[in-house]
Amino acid sequence: MAETLKAVDAVTIGVGLTGSLAALELAQAGLKVVGLERGAARFTVPDFQSPTIHDELRFSIRKAMMQDNTKVAVTFRNSSDQTALPIRRWESFLPGQGLGGSFVHWNGQSFRAQVADFIYRTHHLERYGQKFLDSCGEDLTIQDWGVTYDELEPHFDRMEYLIGVSGKAGNINGQIQPGGNPFEAPRKREYPNPPMKETYFGAIFRKAAAGLGYHPYPQPSSNLSRPYTNPLGLKMQACVFCGFCERYACEHFAKGSPQTTILPVLLKNPNYELRTNCEVVRINLDSTGKKATGVTYFDAAGREFFQPADIVFITAFPLNNVRTLLLSGIGEPYDPKTGKGVVGRNYTYQTTGGPAVFLDENINVNAFMSSGAPGTMIDDFGGDNFDHSNLGFIGGQYVGSIMTGARPIEFHPTPPGTPKWGLEWKKAVARHYNHTILVQQHGTSQPSRLNYLDLDPTYKDAWGLPLLRMTFDFPENDIRMSQYIADKVVEIGRAMGGKVVVRGGTKRPYSTTFYQSTHNAGGAVMGDDPKTSVVNRYQQCWDVPNVFSLGASSFPQNITYNYSVTIGAITMFALDAIKNKYLKSPGPLVHA
Amino acid sequence: MMNSTPWLIAAIVAGSSLSAAVLAQSASDARPPDPKRGATIAAQGTPSGAPGCAQCHAFNGASDGSGAFPRIAGQSAHYLAKELHDFGSGVRNNAVMSPIARAMTPDDIADVAAYYASLHAPVLPLPPPEPALVKKGEQLARFGNDEKRIQACNNCHGAGGTGEPPTIPYLAGQYSNYIATELKMWQRGYRKNSPNQMAAVSKLLSDDDIAAVAAYYQQILGSGELANSQ
Repeated sequence: MAETLKAVDAVTIGVGLTGSLAALELAQAGLKVVGLERGAARFTVPDFQSPTIHDELRFSIRKAMMQDNTKVAVTFRNSSDQTALPIRRWESFLPGQGLGGSFVHWNGQSFRAQVADFIYRTHHLERYGQKFLDSCGEDLTIQDWGVTYDELEPHFDRMEYLIGVSGKAGNINGQIQPGGNPFEAPRKREYPNPPMKETYFGAIFRKAAAGLGYHPYPQPSSNLSRPYTNPLGLKMQACVFCGFCERYACEHFAKGSPQTTILPVLLKNPNYELRTNCEVVRINLDSTGKKATGVTYFDAAGREFFQPADIVFITAFPLNNVRTLLLSGIGEPYDPKTGKGVVGRNYTYQTTGGPAVFLDENINVNAFMSSGAPGTMIDDFGGDNFDHSNLGFIGGQYVGSIMTGARPIEFHPTPPGTPKWGLEWKKAVARHYNHTILVQQHGTSQPSRLNYLDLDPTYKDAWGLPLLRMTFDFPENDIRMSQYIADKVVEIGRAMGGKVVVRGGTKRPYSTTFYQSTHNAGGAVMGDDPKTSVVNRYQQCWDVPNVFSLGASSFPQNITYNYSVTIGAITMFALDAIKNKYLKSPGPLVHA
Repeated sequence: MMNSTPWLIAAIVAGSSLSAAVLAQSASDARPPDPKRGATIAAQGTPSGAPGCAQCHAFNGASDGSGAFPRIAGQSAHYLAKELHDFGSGVRNNAVMSPIARAMTPDDIADVAAYYASLHAPVLPLPPPEPALVKKGEQLARFGNDEKRIQACNNCHGAGGTGEPPTIPYLAGQYSNYIATELKMWQRGYRKNSPNQMAAVSKLLSDDDIAAVAAYYQQILGSGELANSQ
């Protein structure tokens, strides 16, 4: 029997990027906020210090920072006619667990989505027409976000200054800036910090890409290029290119994370209480089903509690936002047979995987000295930056030389034809380890009627609740897009001096057995129509207006870029509306 | 390893600006460093007027223990050469070392750096520091300070302060007065190399913090042990 706790104004389910952002804004506005985190508390000192933090076996291979999938896994299948099985080793995507969430082990690749991304359907209809869209795939269910880039610009700006993004603007108020990305959405001012120093692999890519007429620029990075104090007064340090960023926490106070940029202020706020090792199992609704009364959770000792709250924020990893909604009976679950229902609909992933460029032995790449966002890249093939009229697909990818550490257990490139083990393999690794550049293709994934999330009928978690089931394969559109760009990138690889260039590009079927991207998106998407969205433009649930589902689960389809900064922007946009409108008059912020 | 890449990247990683001297050095890397000639320079100085290094640093690189002069035995050749170039350019401004460095040719610098890097000098028997100070120093060196947002020194200087050659010097066995003085040089802006790392970190440290880490690193190696980052 659950013990009922003292009521609070708001509770967050998860304390990562969105959970700490929401809690900070609301605690500062005077609300009593409780943060419930299923993982452990952890801080830069002492938890993230070396040599412990540089344990590649523990963190990269055994995934020590990721969701404990002996307790809660995700089941997976490629299509509805298959039986899904639980993913017991995270490989393809890496949901974080613990204070700070995935925003601790992220790489710091810090992009804004583009203007067209937010009006995706409208933009494509206007530029190419319905007939063209139909030719890309009848199953595609792309839609607008219900919010525009212009509305979000101030919040992108706040997010970048909060976490100290280091980059070079490419477009300030419509003026193209030399050295930046000419395709980026217009920004009001420069990044808070100058770009990171260019790596040698970046310099090789820059020369080759510029020679082919593309527009290379430094990847915006939340590994900082210099010491920085954020608007909350928190001091950050400069990145030292230690090579342990993705899958790791930063030991140097040099990566934007809740620990470095939000939590030290939040945790001192008397209106805030953090509770770690607390597993939320559902949001409780009143008898009408239209109002949440709080959440039910289990603590580390297995005790069950009911935490009453006026507002509930679902601030977990995107997949877990969707699962929480399904477990709580909020919103109509999506049915792929009828196309009706919304929760679980428009789950999207990302298309990744670029070529390996094998170089001459006299070129020492030294990629072990690197950061999480060290790229030199081009956006010429991003989003709708190029004319798709005769291509038969929508979407695009950025392309860049982004090597995040070349750590010894994970990184041993060998050219095709090399044996997978034994003496010849060892010789090939020794020959190629320091003379290979991986080029990344990274981009959009379109939503399809066939891809969705729901509750698994068979497999349950440690609390006896159904696991989330993922039904996903890349739409043909995404394959055509990725393969088209793969051809272009092979040319860049050759211009980089590649003796052997192994072509990249996404293939079907999607497999969860190798790393691709942790940018799982959608499933509880935002929009302006309750028939095709779970939340409105403020990420407020249509059906239960005192529940907000924050984060990338709200993306109607996935963007070209790594998505954290865009998550920050839509979250800050939502919080502004909550503080300025909702708190004064609780209820739906948008009337459908 | 004859191209300039390792130098370039190493310098970038150290967070330092590339001095023209370093670039020139790497570009004309035609002859390998000669540690024997380096030993001669250490003992006798150079014809252009640089005094013998051994006068202050001792022929075995252990210096005299006062901390007025750092221990340089077994320090990485890359690091020693880079510091000499920085002394010469004024990025590291020092009334004693800057004129000496300016009197040395790039080959002189490469040779003495190679010589001292090759040495294994014993640690001098010095009076033990205050245990409480050492304990506080160990905390900072190994774990840092979350409230002040100071990362552990060992993150870069290696477990036990043994250095991360070629770019990051060892601190284990280094003289406490020397470590403390350099941290204050960074705090006050006399030492301008590593502006984004050491200068930033030094400003987070109190005088007590500095005394503590300096005391801690000096006593890590016992009397007679060999300090060598390589």
